[in-house]
Amino acid sequence: MTDSADVLEDVGAFTADQVEILSTQRVEPEWLRTQRKEGYRVFAETPMPDTRPEEWRYTPIRELLDLGSLRLSGERPAITDADQLPAELSRLIGAGGESAGQIVQVGASVVQRELSEEPTSQGVIFTSLEQAVREHPELVQRHLATAAGPGEGKFAAQNTAFWTGGTFLYVPAHVRVALPIRSFRWIDEVSSSLFGRTLVVAEEFAEVALVDELASGDFHAPTYSNGATEIVAGEGAKVTYVALQRFGRGVRHLTTDRLVPGRDAQITTVYVALGSDVTRADIQCSLQAPGAHADMLGLYIAEGTQHLDHETLQDHIAPHASSNLLFKGALMDKGRSVFRGLIRVHPKAQRTNAYQTNRNLILSPGARADSLPNLEIAADDVRCSHAATAGQLDEEELFYLQSRGIRYIEAMRLVISGFFGEVLEQLELDGVRQELIRAIEAKLYATRQER
Amino acid sequence: MAEPLVKIVDLHAEVAEDGTEILRGVNLEVKEGEIHAIMGPNGSGKSTLAKVISGHPAYEVTEGDVLFRGESILDMEPDDRARAGIFLAFQYPVEIPGVSIANFLRTSLNSHRDEDIDIFDFQDLLISKMEMLGMDPAFAERSVNDGFSGGEKKRNEILQLAMLEPTLAVMDETDSGLDIDALKIVSAGINQVKQEHQNDMSVLLITHYQRMLNYITPDFVHVMLAGRVVRSGGPELALALEEKGYEWAKELSLA
Ligand SMILES: Nc1ncnc2c1ncn2[C@@H]1O[C@H](COP(=O)(O)OP(=O)(O)OP(=O)(O)O)[C@@H](O)[C@H]1O
Ligand SMILES: [Mg+2]
Repeated sequence: MTDSADVLEDVGAFTADQVEILSTQRVEPEWLRTQRKEGYRVFAETPMPDTRPEEWRYTPIRELLDLGSLRLSGERPAITDADQLPAELSRLIGAGGESAGQIVQVGASVVQRELSEEPTSQGVIFTSLEQAVREHPELVQRHLATAAGPGEGKFAAQNTAFWTGGTFLYVPAHVRVALPIRSFRWIDEVSSSLFGRTLVVAEEFAEVALVDELASGDFHAPTYSNGATEIVAGEGAKVTYVALQRFGRGVRHLTTDRLVPGRDAQITTVYVALGSDVTRADIQCSLQAPGAHADMLGLYIAEGTQHLDHETLQDHIAPHASSNLLFKGALMDKGRSVFRGLIRVHPKAQRTNAYQTNRNLILSPGARADSLPNLEIAADDVRCSHAATAGQLDEEELFYLQSRGIRYIEAMRLVISGFFGEVLEQLELDGVRQELIRAIEAKLYATRQER
Repeated sequence: MAEPLVKIVDLHAEVAEDGTEILRGVNLEVKEGEIHAIMGPNGSGKSTLAKVISGHPAYEVTEGDVLFRGESILDMEPDDRARAGIFLAFQYPVEIPGVSIANFLRTSLNSHRDEDIDIFDFQDLLISKMEMLGMDPAFAERSVNDGFSGGEKKRNEILQLAMLEPTLAVMDETDSGLDIDALKIVSAGINQVKQEHQNDMSVLLITHYQRMLNYITPDFVHVMLAGRVVRSGGPELALALEEKGYEWAKELSLA
């Protein structure tokens, strides 16, 4: 390993000076400036991974992402009128269904935010992360970048240095927010870089659901999204987090997400990857407290030459915790997916229940799914399993549907939607589930898959 | 009526994958409104005939023809045949995980129509047909055949028949796996749909046993053996078969 990697690599717009400027413009407290600089240091010193490390073997990030060709997103003024939003974004927001609050980030800035009266009066905080730093500095400092910080790799470090806007959700103890809360992030400039960041803190026995929607139009040149999400659930809390990614062509989307359920807490995540040219989602759940439970769900559809990569870790540190992962994907044209999942059970994590399943539907001869489930178990009293499958559409199912008059393409869509049904039926929020079903069907209808 | 609804002429079909011949010259005519029963021992090619009529891609027709209203349907896709009015109740209905019966039936019904059915009209229609078949309306939300008992699957086939109202209903061993009560309900369901349509619906009933024919009286009975129809007659043929067994039919066919 040469130490010249950082010299050779073009960091383009991502300079140390930019970090200073960004922090100064926002009049940030010293701890945050220090945190950003530490993030920058790790980002700059960590070479761009090649395909030698196992976790990058199937996603040649050096070829897929050229940081030198990118610039930072511009600032956007706050808007008061929905008409001022990009039309496509307005449509997405409108289709989103009922919510208790919403936040909209365009480029570098959060441009709109609202939270309904009831949660506001109950002490729920839902603002941009920037605003939360100003208004609730101790609360933010206690959690920000503690789980998805510079230690989590080059890209998490880059996000730590460059995040702007952001989403902060705090739910006080014993407060239950009945309706989901929504956060939209929209990229509006070609070759720009969106560094979104989400921090959710739910105190003891709080209950909340957040839907992060990532989207953009199509771009003719590489455009960048690098996100990070931290979810901290206190004792007995119940947090649902849905990430719906519908970026357009040209987007390279990376995200580093960390889930930390407390004692008897329950975190449910649903990752839906439909858009972008390249997606790389690194999702880890750290089960550090007894009784903690995580349901990690995911579904993805790759068409054209889309490359969608999910890396997951169910890290069982405490005894009596459980986690259940189910990711399902459909691949068509020359679409590719990578799923690398690890269940790691530490020596003290007795009575762990951990399951992991990845199933793929290969719909075209040129499509490919690499699936690498793994177990690393150092405790003896555990129940763990993993499974991975790749299969084609069942001709008998298609014939059955066709024999009822349903056209082949329509039959295919039904069977694929049904395949994803197993994932979606685990989501308790009916409105969000309906929205995800519509998003998936829209994607399936948009593809020109021929027999 | 000069032209039969279905005319099967010297039909030969093989398994597309390996060329094994299964149908070896089937001849059969079904006129409008008629009920025909096809009987025959295991492996004689009854289901294959049914699937070839519906256009299953696993089989290749090497000789002969299937005419529906005087036109060959062999070049039609299975979904085109279904929309033309051909319905197959499967011997082994297929499970479609994650697709609800309601969604499935609405999609099928809409595929048969120029304009989508109103969602409330659909609900009313579905519930009335389910009631007729003694089915719990909650069933409509279950995934198609997924985890259904044998009897439930068969009942679900009849529900589809009742919803889609075909001109030709091919019923492949709809009676197998049914207890006596379920058999009565299912037979009554078929009879009712048939009665509502009279001459607009013909039925090809594949069965091993006389017991279903006690409820649904066929106009004609055919015996299939080794890929051919070897004998045809009236309802009395089924009774004779029940009494004397297929060995008798085999001897007849050799004679
Ligand atoms: N797809 C296939 N591939 C290979 N062999 C097949 C295929 N389909 C049918 N066969 C064979 O063709 C013969 C006829 O099968 P078919 O299912 O038509 O019989 P059947 O009369 O319906 O029998 P049963 O009364 O048991 O339902 C059998 O020997 C069967 O194994
Ligand atoms: Mg059969």
